[in-house]
Amino acid sequence: MADAAAVILVGGKSSRMGRAKALLPFDNEPLIAHVVRRLKSWFPEIIVVAAPDQELPELSAVLVRDEIAYQGPVSGIYHGLKAATKDVCFVTSCDAPFLNFELIDHLLEQISDYDVVVPFWRERFQPLHAIYRTSVVPLFKEQLERGELRPIFLYDKVRTRKIQEAEIRRLDPEGLSFLNMNSPADYDAALQLWRERNTISVSVELFGIARMLTKTQSVSLDLNEGATLAQVFSALGEKLPALVGRVLNSGGLIHGYSCNLNGLNFVRAPDVKVSSGDKIFILSADAGG
Amino acid sequence: MHGFHGRLLHLDLTSGQSVWREIETFRLRAFLGGIGLGTSLLYDYAPRGVDPFSPENPLIFASAPLVGTGLTTTAKFAVVTKSPLTGFIADSLSSSYFALELKRIGIDALIITGRSSAMSYLSIKNQTVEIRSAEHLRGKSPLEAESVIRAELNWPSARVAAIGRAGENLVRFATISNEGRHAGRGGVGAVMGSKNLKAIALSGDCRTDVADSGGIEKIAAVLRERSLSSLTDKYREIGTVANLSVFNRLGTLPTRNFQQSTFDDADALSGESLTENNFSRRHGCAACTIRCERLFKALDGRDQRMEYETLFALGPLCGIRDPDSVLHAAQLCDVYGLDTISTGGTLAWAMECGEKGLLPDVDKFGLRFGAAEGVFAAIAAIGERQGIGALLAEGSRRAAMEIGGNSMDWAMHVKGLELPGYEPRSLKTMALGLAVSPRGACHNRSGAYEADFSGEVDRFTIDSRRGSLVAASEDFAATLDSLIICKFLRKCFNDYYEEAAEVLRNVTGWDYTANDIKRAGERIHNLKKLFNIREGWSTDDDWLPGRLLSEALPTGVGAGVRLSPDELRQMIRSYYQARGWDDHGLIPESKLAELNLPHLPPHT
Repeated sequence: MADAAAVILVGGKSSRMGRAKALLPFDNEPLIAHVVRRLKSWFPEIIVVAAPDQELPELSAVLVRDEIAYQGPVSGIYHGLKAATKDVCFVTSCDAPFLNFELIDHLLEQISDYDVVVPFWRERFQPLHAIYRTSVVPLFKEQLERGELRPIFLYDKVRTRKIQEAEIRRLDPEGLSFLNMNSPADYDAALQLWRERNTISVSVELFGIARMLTKTQSVSLDLNEGATLAQVFSALGEKLPALVGRVLNSGGLIHGYSCNLNGLNFVRAPDVKVSSGDKIFILSADAGG
Repeated sequence: MHGFHGRLLHLDLTSGQSVWREIETFRLRAFLGGIGLGTSLLYDYAPRGVDPFSPENPLIFASAPLVGTGLTTTAKFAVVTKSPLTGFIADSLSSSYFALELKRIGIDALIITGRSSAMSYLSIKNQTVEIRSAEHLRGKSPLEAESVIRAELNWPSARVAAIGRAGENLVRFATISNEGRHAGRGGVGAVMGSKNLKAIALSGDCRTDVADSGGIEKIAAVLRERSLSSLTDKYREIGTVANLSVFNRLGTLPTRNFQQSTFDDADALSGESLTENNFSRRHGCAACTIRCERLFKALDGRDQRMEYETLFALGPLCGIRDPDSVLHAAQLCDVYGLDTISTGGTLAWAMECGEKGLLPDVDKFGLRFGAAEGVFAAIAAIGERQGIGALLAEGSRRAAMEIGGNSMDWAMHVKGLELPGYEPRSLKTMALGLAVSPRGACHNRSGAYEADFSGEVDRFTIDSRRGSLVAASEDFAATLDSLIICKFLRKCFNDYYEEAAEVLRNVTGWDYTANDIKRAGERIHNLKKLFNIREGWSTDDDWLPGRLLSEALPTGVGAGVRLSPDELRQMIRSYYQARGWDDHGLIPESKLAELNLPHLPPHT
């Protein structure tokens, strides 16, 4: 876990999207909850910077509010950094869900001799996917007072490490870290991309009673990357409810039934991970005749 | 005495004399009943080196302490003799009302020796024993014989076990059948036929007295409830035929005489499809709550029992894909009284011989993989011992010895008993279990496959644990087969040996402990082995057919996997060690003494 905080800006107008970006469903949860959850596994401190009165779901994060709505990113970064207890913060926005922790880790590693580490992707700085020391808070305050609402004005004034595109590509070849969603079309594309990149597909083959109950030999299940047998059983129960109570219950397989992975290993523990393409057989535990 | 009657009936068919004899308490305590009691009596009653078809070979029907107690799945009996197929012990089980009636005539074992001068049947009503003519029953199927005998005796409670034409004709894998069930393996029906004994009819009114009826009622209620839980779903809902589709997917369905381990047409033959398309009704043994038997509608409209082993042996093993054909082949085996596994195994051997030009006669029968008509004709020929049937009636081992060439390499037997439907190359623990089993390639006297199917071991590889796993499985099975408790209840115990001891304490009043039961299992298994050693067993008999040790698995998820002779040798070594036997598989004196085995007094 990084010795740093993560600051997530959510206070944008979402005018092109037509509805609040933070609340868009993403991977079965509001987008902001999704981003917080993912960052939580990497950062001990999460700060969400929202507009005054902005509606948000319950989050496991420190919530701070802009004093004035829609002042732009400098204000958000300023309030976020100011609230942090860590010396270093990773700043991002809630509409860029393709977080690449290898890249974020690389950015964090660069901060030791700098005040700001900022990627430069496709001829543009990416201030909302950058590392800032909290020591720059006074400078941002001055910028705000001067009405300089673009973060890049800071970069000439402090020790800034510009991360070139080639360096980024080694860890994030497509630059997905900087892909954000501004319009409904962006959102749809992001959802599709997320599913493609983060969904695994397994097939479950049913034998004996499971097959008889459901009149089904095989079903395909789409699951999140890293899914376990517990998720397989849960998704299977949703898809084929006839199995619930007879073959499956909330604890997984009912006593008397067993599971085989790819015809090779007999497994039962709910925390066994499955991989894309796995074939999972549900059969009677009593193999003999 | 509780649980037992403490006596046996020894009938000599040559002289017609019957003797009621006490059974020593220590024998009952040490060997429990069923297979254990039968084995101990065989050891004492069979003269060393006896020819299985000689009048001196005893045919033993053994009851057990739990029979008649009302405990679910316990209406079973054992048939023990020297096998004409293997030359070693044949210990088979059957079940239902005949088992209850055997106990009700007031004996724990019926020993039949001698040979009747003409085809006969035996009727026993309590103390009255009669040998009656059965010439009018010659050629009848077991069910027909049963029906005629019940009608002519006119005893309402009479129960009959009979042989079919195959038993009469000494087909070495003939069965003894009662109520449509069979004591199937090892040719016990041929031994009965060799005695000119067509059937045995029993009727009695002796109750089984238990030491603590209240205790037994409580245990019976618990076991009944467990027997209806999800633990037995498979047996209650589909039956053992459910194995076929699973085994096929796991690459462990022997197909075309073990040339493949998957069958392309498995879906059509699967238990699920049979249930969907052919299911007629469900049936159960007497005193059983599981009721695993599934009857399927055959083409002639009659109901036919079907178990996985029959389905595999007359289906994929012979390349037969059509469920109606397999059902009809099973009907024929029942009519003739044939062990379906050995029938399928021997036919598959012949089909492969035909493919390789070693057995031209098979063409006359159209006996080819996948050709159902050839299978029907050959089953009848075996039952009648006609034409090529005379050769095949000897079983695959003897037939291969006769034909020669390399045909022994694909005679899929151990000790002469044809392999059941578990592909050993993809079930390595089972491979060991099959190789060392005293009665030959058997899936019932140990359940070694359970380790392979549970994930406890890697089923495609070997390790040093296999010996102790197989030994433990054999001992467990020996106690189930002796008490007797059906194996389909085996998963319904929380602590089997403790619970079995509690059951036996309540039934007999004797102070059994879990360790006593476990020890009895070990003792019974060792005595089977001791009998085999006495009858000429050597280390070469604990081995698998050449095909399994020289060819890689051709199909399925385990394609390419091999079982090398060295792997098998290592596993056998680990098994002998786990058993406390010497490197040659012989039982040291110290082990015999530890199990109190040398102290059995001879009775002949």
